[in-house]
Amino acid sequence: MQFQKEVEILAPREKVWAFIWDVDRFIACVPGCKDAKTVEEGKRYTATMTEKVGPFKVEFPTTIEVLEREELTHIKAQASGADNKIGSRMKIDLDVNLRAQDGKTILGFVAGVDILGKLAALGHGIIKRKADQVLDEFAQAVKKKLEGEA
Amino acid sequence: MATAMSRHGDAQTLPVSFTLNGRLQEIDVEPHELLLDVVRDHLGLTGAKRSCDVEVCGACTLLIDGRPVSACTTLAFEVRGRSVMTIEGLAVNGKLHPLQEAFIEHGGFQCGFCTPGMILASKALLDENPNPSEDELKHFMHGNLCRCTGYKKIIESIMAAAKKMRGSRA
Amino acid sequence: MLRRFRLEEPDSVAEVAELLGRFGDAAKVYAGGTELLLVMKEGLVQYERLINVKKLGLNKITTENGTVTLGALCTHHELEKSAILQQQLPALVRLEQNVANVRVRQAGTIGGNLCFAEPHADPGTLLMAMGATLVADKGTSRREILAQDFFVDAYETSLAADEVLTEIRLPRPAENRKSAYLKFGYLERPSVGVAIALSLNGDEVSDVKIAVGCAGPAPKRVAEAEALLSGKGKQEASRNLAQAGVIAGKASQAISDLHGAQDYKEHIVGVLLKRAYQAAVG
Repeated sequence: MQFQKEVEILAPREKVWAFIWDVDRFIACVPGCKDAKTVEEGKRYTATMTEKVGPFKVEFPTTIEVLEREELTHIKAQASGADNKIGSRMKIDLDVNLRAQDGKTILGFVAGVDILGKLAALGHGIIKRKADQVLDEFAQAVKKKLEGEA
Repeated sequence: MATAMSRHGDAQTLPVSFTLNGRLQEIDVEPHELLLDVVRDHLGLTGAKRSCDVEVCGACTLLIDGRPVSACTTLAFEVRGRSVMTIEGLAVNGKLHPLQEAFIEHGGFQCGFCTPGMILASKALLDENPNPSEDELKHFMHGNLCRCTGYKKIIESIMAAAKKMRGSRA
Repeated sequence: MLRRFRLEEPDSVAEVAELLGRFGDAAKVYAGGTELLLVMKEGLVQYERLINVKKLGLNKITTENGTVTLGALCTHHELEKSAILQQQLPALVRLEQNVANVRVRQAGTIGGNLCFAEPHADPGTLLMAMGATLVADKGTSRREILAQDFFVDAYETSLAADEVLTEIRLPRPAENRKSAYLKFGYLERPSVGVAIALSLNGDEVSDVKIAVGCAGPAPKRVAEAEALLSGKGKQEASRNLAQAGVIAGKASQAISDLHGAQDYKEHIVGVLLKRAYQAAVG
């Protein structure tokens, strides 16, 4: 599943970039994400992603690897995790882009999300909607956090 | 005779008294045990089959109080105080039921895997509606799948049995 | 094999509510089990306790003072065979006759169907169009929820954690009130479902209620489509059907999946709306 989001943030690019690497605050913007830890600064992080759809709960201990990094412009990362309780795996390929525009920042990201295993039995449609929702909430949370601290 | 699939310390067990193919059975089951497992593995009646395991194919069909259920998705304790029929209980003293005879005579089965479920479901159909139209038959039997016959011979078998059963009531 | 759980068999709704309150997510209401046991078998959920609600006598069908009341624990089979429903609510009988297959209809309950809120289900859509009211009971108090407000999202209803759905109430339709439900699908569960209810006064079509289900995460009423048909003469309403269909299709929140592409489902909504309208108007 592919998702594309773009959000306009009323903050300069340097501030947005710094925010992304402030792991705790950044992770707090991901709905259902907790226990963020830095394994290797700038390279490797871990966190627990939780999500709920009706009676179905998932908890993915997740590893995030930063694959590419272009100062102030671009990040390529991969997040992967497995919920052994319900036999499902999750993989996200993330491409984050920052663009300056009249003192504002356009934060865009392309996410390729793969859910494998039993959770997929819930139906592709449900998962797609949920993932879309989560990414929307995330984008809005980042915007709010950054603009709120102007 | 009280029996159980497995005991786990102080696991909850439920006494289940029911009629199985006309005879009284008394067993103990744990709440999570499925009827299909109890009937096949515990009571040794392997006519009902686990196939899709999601109530779609009908290979596990059993009759509870004459009505078809998916044994794969029925908790065993639910048969408390009720009567259960498996395919093994259809023939009486070795004499085949008209449905069984019809399926043989009209070629209503090939590999036979779906057949116990097919026959029990069609028994429930004919008990409810002794003279079904082909549409009514197809509607009732919609949930019993067959990969071999293409259904034509199954329909013929059921219709033939129905006719015979109506005739013998005259 | 299911994971081990403890069976509770309370005698009253108050007891059920108390158990749900006490054990929270570790306990679940268990009726026919036709949905619950499947997801338990898959390992997608697990519970320490299942609360059997089939001993509460909630499977009656009654009609009184212009209201038809269905017990939440009525099986689909009991509903399809009900003389009261055959007389008063034939569209609901036709729907119930076609839920899943004969074995699921034998064990599955209307309440369980509504509360599990699987997107690809039939009853919710028609009940919304028929103006049904659902009764949520926790023993100490009860409240009524309109069917159109019951479904929040896929697998999610507006029932509180300690509430039990006990009844579904339907207004007894007047002589000139017609309804129809049509569905489409080629997989095991329906892919698109459309319900319509309307009143016919001579040439005028009024008080139209339209609901779409199965295509999206939850069934929905479509007020914008209703407005195109309500209070119109039959000719004008017919002319507006195509547009109403497009609006209803968009409102269905259809998503592309194995059941079909989004635009395909939206198109089918339009087709079913047209046919359901024609079936209702006669």
